[in-house]
Amino acid sequence: MEWIAIIEKGFWAGFAALGFAILFNVPQRTLFMIWGMGAIGGLTKFLLLGFEMNIVLCSLAGASFIGILSVYAAHNKQAPPLVFSIPSVIPMVPGAFAYRMMLGCMELAGTTSNSQTYLKTLAETTNNGLKAIFILIALSAGVAIPMLVTRKDTFKRIKSNEEQE
Amino acid sequence: MDKGLKKIKEVEDMLLNVGTLLMSSGASTGRVRTTVNRIADALGYNIELLITNRSLMLKVIDEETDRFIASLKRTSPHGVNFRVVSGISRMSWKVVEENWNVGQINAEIDRLVALPHYPRFIILSSVALAGSSFCALFGGKGVELVVAFVATFFGLFVRQVSLKKRFNPYVSIFFAAFAASLLSGLSVKLGIGGSPDLAFATSVLFLVPGVPLINSFTDMIDGNILNGITRGIHGLIIAFAIALGLLCAKFLFNI
Repeated sequence: MEWIAIIEKGFWAGFAALGFAILFNVPQRTLFMIWGMGAIGGLTKFLLLGFEMNIVLCSLAGASFIGILSVYAAHNKQAPPLVFSIPSVIPMVPGAFAYRMMLGCMELAGTTSNSQTYLKTLAETTNNGLKAIFILIALSAGVAIPMLVTRKDTFKRIKSNEEQE
Repeated sequence: MDKGLKKIKEVEDMLLNVGTLLMSSGASTGRVRTTVNRIADALGYNIELLITNRSLMLKVIDEETDRFIASLKRTSPHGVNFRVVSGISRMSWKVVEENWNVGQINAEIDRLVALPHYPRFIILSSVALAGSSFCALFGGKGVELVVAFVATFFGLFVRQVSLKKRFNPYVSIFFAAFAASLLSGLSVKLGIGGSPDLAFATSVLFLVPGVPLINSFTDMIDGNILNGITRGIHGLIIAFAIALGLLCAKFLFNI
């Protein structure tokens, strides 16, 4: 496994997250945390990809890691979890798959169904499209579920309830 | 209007303001409901809330006198602003813990809305940096990163200008995707760099509807299925607008 390449990718994922954080106008105190979470999510995904796991599962793992971290970050920096989690998962968006699916669809629409390459293009397009859709679902589920597991309450209230008990 | 009703009306206006601000800044439906409920609880009023994507309906009931006011407010489509979401969320806790009154809350809301965005040049260049990071993530190197940077910078600039000129939001996204892919398509046509295709594919990724899609899923598993579907379709239309922009550039350059 090429460790340096993976670490470099994590580094870039952090910067992609940072760009979106600034586009979404997050508070300044959260910027560094978002960079770190984007990098950790990217590292997780590419590390697992290095073990030749399914890309959907890799994205799910990366996104859930970000989701769990976001709940803690929310408590630490006093901002809702989605402020951290949404910019951080955006580097994992399956842009390349969606792009290839779209190209495939255009090619399918432009050729006749009995041409020789039709079936091959159809298979590739279906594969790319399904990957894109399932990665998207995995990303949103990975981010949303840790927030829901904390029982819809904010982290703050859970903490204070524990102290009371 | 007598004094009691006037007081309820004040609370009503303030809560509607909080709710619509949260909704248009990119909070999920569940968060809007919890925050508005929390503030109303702290002030000692009962409320009923109907949240849709473009408007908010609220009924504020005074428990002592049993009188109520119900009214409706339209959510203005402002675009994502997490500074407001985080500010209002912090404020709602202060309302509970420090017993704020309506006047204090209104002053805090005015302050939050007036908070500055990042300077325009910083937004443009950091999103452009994100664009070249995307390119690096998909395996781009050297010149392709620069192409992705320039294309994203230009695309976002076009989007900001067309939003300012009050074009339809989807049309502005189409313009932005078209502008970005025109620039990166030029590099494909001229054969700059090792795999210019990567820069072409990643130069429009800054437009991906991340917030609508993630909020859509959050809303749906939270039980707000109608809002979730609305947000999902919104995200899909954005994706189509991006695809259309790419397509136009592709046909223009015949690549």
